[in-house]
Amino acid sequence: MKNTWIVVRGLLLACFLLVVLPAAAQNLTITDDDVNAIAKQMYCPVCENIPLDVCGTAACDQWRGEIRTQLEQGYTEEEIITDFINRFGERVVGTPQDPLLRAVSLVTPWIVGLVMLIVVVLNFTRWRKPRPVTTAPASITDDVYRDRLEADLKTRR
Amino acid sequence: MSDVIDELEFLQSEEGHDEKRAGLSPGSIVLLIGIVAVAAVFGVMLARQNQTQPESGAAPNFSLTTFDGTTYNLADLRGKVIVLNFWASWCGPCRVEAPDLQTTWEKYRDRDVLFLGVAYTDTETGAKAFIAEYSQTYPNGMDLGTRISEAYNIQGVPETFVIDQQGNVAQFFYARVTVDSLSAVIDRLLASG
Repeated sequence: MKNTWIVVRGLLLACFLLVVLPAAAQNLTITDDDVNAIAKQMYCPVCENIPLDVCGTAACDQWRGEIRTQLEQGYTEEEIITDFINRFGERVVGTPQDPLLRAVSLVTPWIVGLVMLIVVVLNFTRWRKPRPVTTAPASITDDVYRDRLEADLKTRR
Repeated sequence: MSDVIDELEFLQSEEGHDEKRAGLSPGSIVLLIGIVAVAAVFGVMLARQNQTQPESGAAPNFSLTTFDGTTYNLADLRGKVIVLNFWASWCGPCRVEAPDLQTTWEKYRDRDVLFLGVAYTDTETGAKAFIAEYSQTYPNGMDLGTRISEAYNIQGVPETFVIDQQGNVAQFFYARVTVDSLSAVIDRLLASG
């Protein structure tokens, strides 16, 4: 009776593993969409400005395979991208290789944003400031000039 | 009559005087900054496009750690002829030249010649499989951060540089090498050197 109970428990355990293990394995299956979600943030190492997810070269195929392997190993998106940058340089994420270009591309948006902000603030404060009334003196001046002009014309006639 | 005209001109100049402002408007300043920034970017890009692979003069220094863990610094290799080959496992022509490189290495390995293979934008798995497939016995390593390929301004793979005993670029091969083409350069350098 005791042996039968052990066999029954063994069978139940086997059934449990047969159900649970494939389900767990399915969760680890990496789809092309998973790979491409990361690949589209990178660029082909040999083509100009072609994202990795749409590139058809053997090099890109190999890189996508590498992304898939790393996803299967449990690496996060950020870890994978960081690893690619460490191994292949910042070109993989589209950052210029030239130090000056890299600096310009990183700093320019901030400078432009800052200048735009200053311009907006200046215009806003100017718009809010009440302007002095200038219409009356202008009309007086106009009358003086008109009188002088008419007087001059009369003397000419 | 001329007095009247003078008077009128005087009036016109006085009327317009108040509307003129000194200096640039904020919009103009932003536009100028934009133009200067774009010009700087294009200038640097143009200058960079004109950079090509070194075909003479001092070879850019580099440090390569090979798959077996040895680190080679070019500056420490004076007195040897260095064959620096850039390749990748995904590159077709690299597969064609691989046997020739190995044959040439075997021919000169006992003399003052060192072959260094640099795997360009390759995966470690792919690179090691390539080395095993072609039974390459000379030192090979990954170009981490593509620093070496950037220093040599390579445009693709395969590309090979032969560096003389004084550390100068003696020959640059833009296309694949053969036993004959590589041997001719190495023989010349060993004879002179």
